[in-house]
Amino acid sequence: MTAIARLFDDFGRRRRPLRSLGASGQLGYGIPTPAFEAGLARAPDMIGVDMGSIDIGPAYLGSGKMAPTRVGAKRDLRKVLRAARRLDIPLIVGSAGSAGARPHLEATLEIIGEIAREDALAFRMAVVAADVPRPALKQAIAAGRVRPLDTMPPLTAADVDAAANIVGQLGLEAFRRALEADVDVVVLGRACDTGIFACIPSMLGFPPGLSMHMAKIVECASLCCVPGGRDSILGVLDDEGFELESMAPNRRATPSSVAAHSLYEQADPYEVREPSGRADLRHVTYRAIDDRKTRVEGATFEPAERLTLKLEGAAKVGYRALLIAGAADPHFISRHEQIFADVACVVRDLVCEDTVEDYCLGFRLYGVDGVRRWAEPPAHMPREAFVLGECIAQSPERAEEVIRTTKQYLLHHGYEGRLSTAGNLAFPFTPPELMIGEAYRFNIFHLLDVDDLARLFPVEVHTLG
Amino acid sequence: MRLDAIAKVIRSKNAGPRLLTLDVMLPDAATFAYVTARLEPLRRQVAQRYRVSENEVAVLPFEPALAVKITLAREIMSGDIGDRDVYGAQQHAPLLDIEL
Repeated sequence: MTAIARLFDDFGRRRRPLRSLGASGQLGYGIPTPAFEAGLARAPDMIGVDMGSIDIGPAYLGSGKMAPTRVGAKRDLRKVLRAARRLDIPLIVGSAGSAGARPHLEATLEIIGEIAREDALAFRMAVVAADVPRPALKQAIAAGRVRPLDTMPPLTAADVDAAANIVGQLGLEAFRRALEADVDVVVLGRACDTGIFACIPSMLGFPPGLSMHMAKIVECASLCCVPGGRDSILGVLDDEGFELESMAPNRRATPSSVAAHSLYEQADPYEVREPSGRADLRHVTYRAIDDRKTRVEGATFEPAERLTLKLEGAAKVGYRALLIAGAADPHFISRHEQIFADVACVVRDLVCEDTVEDYCLGFRLYGVDGVRRWAEPPAHMPREAFVLGECIAQSPERAEEVIRTTKQYLLHHGYEGRLSTAGNLAFPFTPPELMIGEAYRFNIFHLLDVDDLARLFPVEVHTLG
Repeated sequence: MRLDAIAKVIRSKNAGPRLLTLDVMLPDAATFAYVTARLEPLRRQVAQRYRVSENEVAVLPFEPALAVKITLAREIMSGDIGDRDVYGAQQHAPLLDIEL
């Protein structure tokens, strides 16, 4: 009997609260063992982990690489896989390999296969890839079934061609289909984090608003606590609400810390959205059970009028080369804007003698405007500042040529009022230029109307061991 | 009163790659009431400091956490060429010395 069948069998005999263990907010960066083991000792009904997010930027989705190291991802996957098999409970993994496209999913499955062999684990695993087929997406654009999200421009067929990878955020429905394949382990490509913890409750008939609200909190592990952290969390769901308790004794889930979590990375703290609908949090109540546990009630579910899929795509914009240097000359620091503009012209005249300007060169002066473009200059310039030069060009060789030329001319640029005529920059080491490879941007962040998710995103079943 | 003198948390983060969301959490109901009575001046100053028009700044009180959420479009999309803060986690600083 599989882990999911065993759970349903148990619930078939006796309906009771469901215990979900949120192992880690982002798998691959370490799962603290004491809290995880404390969670396992509470006899959870399932273990869930989210591996991804869009917040990490476009490079991972574009390049197909994971954000954590393979070693880190394997260490954490081994921990949750061994635990789930030991307790014979379902393990659900969402947004495989950080960005959840086919290369990320394949890398994750390869690691899981290695662990199964090395640790002699046997299980059935359902997998759903989240990649969106390009022809179907182009047809949807032509049919007016794709809309921009937030401030994005409308999607074009050229964007679809330019994207290195295109994924859709799978929801509850995909997790459910995976579990219905009668398995022990579920691994999805890009997925809504709520689906990880809301799918089993939905199959067991728990109220969907409560399930989604709990899922949204539990997927971040103990982030909803004071102090917030990465330790595992236990969510216990019944038909009227759910209770949250961090598995680390120093982390307290309080009514205000749990309520505050609704604000995190969300434009609207009163709702949680997924393809099939939204949880409405306007009438939610938070009540302390003791000083470490909070009970939450009141979220309701509103089904969506039509199914939509949030699309994410990243396109290569070129190759990135950097210049790293420091400055301590007050004249250089106060005149940096003019100096950077002048040097950019000098460089352009040198590297573009027989071509148009085919690259993008920019500077950030940390200490002044490295972190944001301020509306006003600072009242006082800093004593020292860090110079980051960045070139993006269509080949790594071109990016390197531009950045190395920039280094030379920024070092020796003779600006108005210069006293330090031997050099403008302090290099912490040489070479001070770094070639860091492909650069990407998000070119797809849109909503797609969908009818048949099962046809677009079929379930594959693997038998391991 | 300066915002950083009355708030318990002032933070920023992306809400998707196109939006920046800023949370101001207040220590008690009285301070929350003080700030929520001044949402229009708050919106005006945020628009000025982030160089956007006032109608592009959404200000939403969130009573369960005694917080005010401010959401606006990012100047440059997360991770795009020229972006300076991919996660948007250090864009709260212009809020600190707002006088309410």
